[in-house]
Amino acid sequence: MNDLRLRRARRPLPSRPLLLGCVATVALVLGACGGSSSDKKVAAGGFASGLPTDGQKRGGTLKLLGSEGFFHLDPGGSYFQLDYMVTYATQRPLYYFKPDDPKTAVPDLADGPPQVSADNKTVTVKIKSGIRYGTNKKTAITGKEVTAADVKYAFERGLNPSVANGYEGVYFPLVGADKAKGGPISGITTPDAHTIVFKLTKPFGATTARALVMPLTVPVPKSYVAPLDAKQPNPYDAQPERQAFTGPYMISDYKAGKTITLVRNPQWDPKTDFKPAYLDRIEWTIDADPNVAGRQIFSGTGLANADTPTAGAVKRFATRAKDRITFTPLGNRFVGVNTQRKPFSDINVRKAFAAALDRRAMLLARGGPLVGQLATHFLPPTIPGYDEAGGAKGTGADYLANPSGDPAVAAKYMKLAGFPSGKANGEKVVMLGENDSPAKETAQITRDAIASLGFDVSFRLLDQSTLYSKFCGVRTELEKIDVCGFAGWLPDFSDPYAMLTANFYGKSITAVNNSNASLFDDPAVNAAMDKAALIADAGDRAKAWGAIDRRLVDKVAAVPFLFDNVANIASKNVQGVVGQWIASWDLAYTSLK
Amino acid sequence: MSSVVPAAVTPPGGDPPAAAGAIAARSPLELFWRRLRADRVALGALIFIGLLVLVAVLAPLVVKLAGAPAPNVRSTDALDPTFGSATGPSADHLFGVDNLGRDVFSRVIYGARVSLEVAILATGSAVVAGVVVGMLAAYHGGWVDTVISRTLDVLLAFPILLLGIGLASACSLGDGCLGLIQPGLGVVVVVIAIATFPYIARIIRGQVLSLREKEFVEAARSLGASDRRIIFRQILPNLVAPIIVYTTLVLPQNILFEAALSFLGVGVQPPQASWGQMISDASAEFEDAWWFMFFPGAALVLTVLAFNLVGEGLEDALHPKARK
Repeated sequence: MNDLRLRRARRPLPSRPLLLGCVATVALVLGACGGSSSDKKVAAGGFASGLPTDGQKRGGTLKLLGSEGFFHLDPGGSYFQLDYMVTYATQRPLYYFKPDDPKTAVPDLADGPPQVSADNKTVTVKIKSGIRYGTNKKTAITGKEVTAADVKYAFERGLNPSVANGYEGVYFPLVGADKAKGGPISGITTPDAHTIVFKLTKPFGATTARALVMPLTVPVPKSYVAPLDAKQPNPYDAQPERQAFTGPYMISDYKAGKTITLVRNPQWDPKTDFKPAYLDRIEWTIDADPNVAGRQIFSGTGLANADTPTAGAVKRFATRAKDRITFTPLGNRFVGVNTQRKPFSDINVRKAFAAALDRRAMLLARGGPLVGQLATHFLPPTIPGYDEAGGAKGTGADYLANPSGDPAVAAKYMKLAGFPSGKANGEKVVMLGENDSPAKETAQITRDAIASLGFDVSFRLLDQSTLYSKFCGVRTELEKIDVCGFAGWLPDFSDPYAMLTANFYGKSITAVNNSNASLFDDPAVNAAMDKAALIADAGDRAKAWGAIDRRLVDKVAAVPFLFDNVANIASKNVQGVVGQWIASWDLAYTSLK
Repeated sequence: MSSVVPAAVTPPGGDPPAAAGAIAARSPLELFWRRLRADRVALGALIFIGLLVLVAVLAPLVVKLAGAPAPNVRSTDALDPTFGSATGPSADHLFGVDNLGRDVFSRVIYGARVSLEVAILATGSAVVAGVVVGMLAAYHGGWVDTVISRTLDVLLAFPILLLGIGLASACSLGDGCLGLIQPGLGVVVVVIAIATFPYIARIIRGQVLSLREKEFVEAARSLGASDRRIIFRQILPNLVAPIIVYTTLVLPQNILFEAALSFLGVGVQPPQASWGQMISDASAEFEDAWWFMFFPGAALVLTVLAFNLVGEGLEDALHPKARK
């Protein structure tokens, strides 16, 4: 199976013009470098650009082949790249990123930009009229118009344990949210049917306004969904075909772990939307073998990948079908070690591990330079703060100086950790990894690095779904494991806050759906993040977060190894359009040829 | 082999010599060896297995003499620099490298160790357990036989591979199962032994049921021999031949079983080299990296074939009347 698709869609607002894409490594998608519609089809290196073009064909069925399942299709809980592909095709959040303009969030459900008060503590949004709910079976809300109260309920249910949104507290510090557990939140008011006002506990409006692209802002009709929210598991998630849909498509059929089908939403009015929605139908296979899928997409028609193609597929397309593969720079990848459990609770052991890890081998295992560049800190090139954190050269930490690993530096830190010989004495380290390529290979490289320090590694590979849902994403299990899977992050929006807090902010550690893989909780770093989150000026914000990134490297919160170029592949008759903010196909813009 | 005993030589205290010109009978062992030697195919297979065992035991030396790196040494320089993919046979790497840059020749050699170790240990365990259980059931009969036989029926009804996957998965994390079955090679050995001993137990039970009614057993019983003496002195020696034959037939099956478990990810864990696991890793790359699957696959096929041929040869040599 493929490596875990990174969590969270984001949208890469680059800190420098997209011209960066033109001079980067072989395979970057050029957003701004293209000019005319014909130029837009081709990126540097002859690869497909993944941008929308004029005259795309309407109609037809696209078949997506994937091997990873969804985490949550309920927009309230959706927080995974694959979940986003479905959610953003079937629902309308307040704001949206067009695939060819990842810089600017445009109003989708909203009717204009968010208004942030002068004290940065109130955000007001107006919503459009005439947007109606579509459902598979006729219900009381079929055809009913969306109101601001539905957006208010969406936020309130996010705190319901049966929804358990993973980022609401992070991006939306709402007044009254600490007392609400799925009930009313006093900090959200709806003065009329098309106005919603968010009152915040702190001057966080600049960040909250950016976060209004998140799927939590998708409207949810209370009268229809509240009875479902009282159940565990929540049927709005487990049976997503029962949802109330506002987007151009709706889920007509879902068999968990097997297939999902999207069809046109008859209640969607194209006059209220900018999305073209060319396709009639999308059929998505969830249990495809990734290697077979790569070959099928290569030689078939009407097919495209759902999750990360294998290294073999990337090679095949990059050498024999360049015009059918896109590369989108986005996000990072790192190895998180449990910072709250011996031996990695000792910073010197973490430094030793960082020094021992062969990051060049990790890059090659994932497919070589085409799929990314070596990372020396956590903010990727497209996020403000990257340069301030050291850029490509990094922070200068000696334990990250040699991409192939440095046993001498590793030994030095092991000695500082109290191992006079420079190696451990066979102490046990528990490591779980994913049993599909390329995660399987990177897991073995990581295991080798830990073993080279003298630890006895109890190493087990599991399927991705079990690994993350039963172990890595569950705090009580994660506490017993030293290295659990791999982590990587795609920012929710192009802002360093969205890039770093989910993985490294102490309060991000949750009992379930945990994103802080290292269980990293440093009071000084937390305080710095709290302070930096309130900075409105872009330059000062980048500087502050760049400093935090450096601090995360100094504390070895995790070991970064890759800034990703996310590959997507398609059959010859597919005009695939990549949402650059999510580095996945934007199903509302993709078409057949 | 026959021999003519020279006349007039009487060893001290020994029996008087046979009359001059008499022919001494060949011993059963001699007859067995003669028949086996005549089977060139079985002999060839036996030689192959002997060499395989030697290579497995001397794996570090073989790899060193071949100039290959150790099996878990990753050589990123051997990978394709653009795509990070495996590269094929070359002067530096006889069988090419895998997708982590590890030498395939070295891993095939060390993989032989895993396959043989698991197969021999698992088969040995299964045979011991099968013989004990089968003998117990058949000799005592009655409710003992009933309970044991029904238990064997239940175990035999389980699909072996699924049982193996379930047990291996359950016992592969943390402290294993009951603290006894530890994750790693131990799990694989135990799983295979549990999955295969019922077959042997059934066969042995059938043999013992027949043997216990024989006259020599009755005679021993009437002379006052204890059950234990009868089992070890009368019955067990007559089981040696079938035990040997079934062992050699079960062993290659267990080699394949280990390969299947490793292929499915519940056998030997990486980075330990195992033919089944190598084949599993290679299945994704076969189109671009045929060597990665070909060499461990060929080793597995030849090994299983050799054991099967030896098993057949032993059966023919031990039971010539059963020959077609």
